[in-house]
Amino acid sequence: MASASDGGEDQATLANQQTNIDESTVKEPLDLVRLSLDERVYVKLRNDRELRGKLHSYDQHLNMLLGEVEEITTIREVDEETYEEIIKSNKRSVPYLFVRGDAVTLISPHEIRS
Amino acid sequence: MALPTKQSAAPNNPSLLLPSELVDKCVNEKVWIIMKNGHKEFTGTLKGFDVYVNCVLEDAIEYDRDQESGKETTKNLESILLNGNNICMIVPGGERS
Amino acid sequence: MEASTTTSASKTPADFLKSIRGKRVVVKLNSGVDYRGILACLDGYMNIAMEHTEEYVNGQLKNKYGDAFIRGNNVLYISLAK
Repeated sequence: MASASDGGEDQATLANQQTNIDESTVKEPLDLVRLSLDERVYVKLRNDRELRGKLHSYDQHLNMLLGEVEEITTIREVDEETYEEIIKSNKRSVPYLFVRGDAVTLISPHEIRS
Repeated sequence: MALPTKQSAAPNNPSLLLPSELVDKCVNEKVWIIMKNGHKEFTGTLKGFDVYVNCVLEDAIEYDRDQESGKETTKNLESILLNGNNICMIVPGGERS
Repeated sequence: MEASTTTSASKTPADFLKSIRGKRVVVKLNSGVDYRGILACLDGYMNIAMEHTEEYVNGQLKNKYGDAFIRGNNVLYISLAK
């Protein structure tokens, strides 16, 4: 399990203070991800990408393996004449996907429809 | 204490003020914080900071300048923890110029 | 390592994080998106678990999540909601 004090990243000291202070009461944020294992999750990535899929595994960086994935990419364009914003979204299905953790912004355990 | 002493940091220069010592002088004072991205700034009372210069600000105001229109929006915030990752400069005093 | 040189009235980031658990907060990301909700817990990377999360883009409510995990590297600030 990824403990925040794993070192290597630059916020590790603050993490140590945190865990020392409330070792008994803290349920750490990654627990939320752990509880979603083998469930379908909603993942928001940078650059207007969204994923829905079954969470097979993850690590402390939030690298993830997702199965039966639906990927939605949103492209915003401004019409040159009318200045109206055109939002296009593309969907595709991927059977199995590795997601690099640094692109992740949000994970929600229950698959939601937007 | 995390900060090195003046002696160990610069044995030949008694007048040297370490950057973190300057920030430490600002605790409980007004500060002006300019972010790396160049269009976001904060002012407020600095309540504390850590080795990453994550900052706790009280009665903070967030200033954001829209790059296309040049219009500035402000937002009043009671109490915030500002991530040190995106901080460019901290100016003592809290008066924007 | 100590978080900073503490004067009597100062409040370090660690103190702040301890004090806001279970409170209503606004989390602003570098992208400009705001998340409003109840802070369930967080860690030293500023990874955040939130409950009753509402997502605001340009001040408009765009989404609601029962629970949400926010990756800390995207966090610009965490603010106590008024």
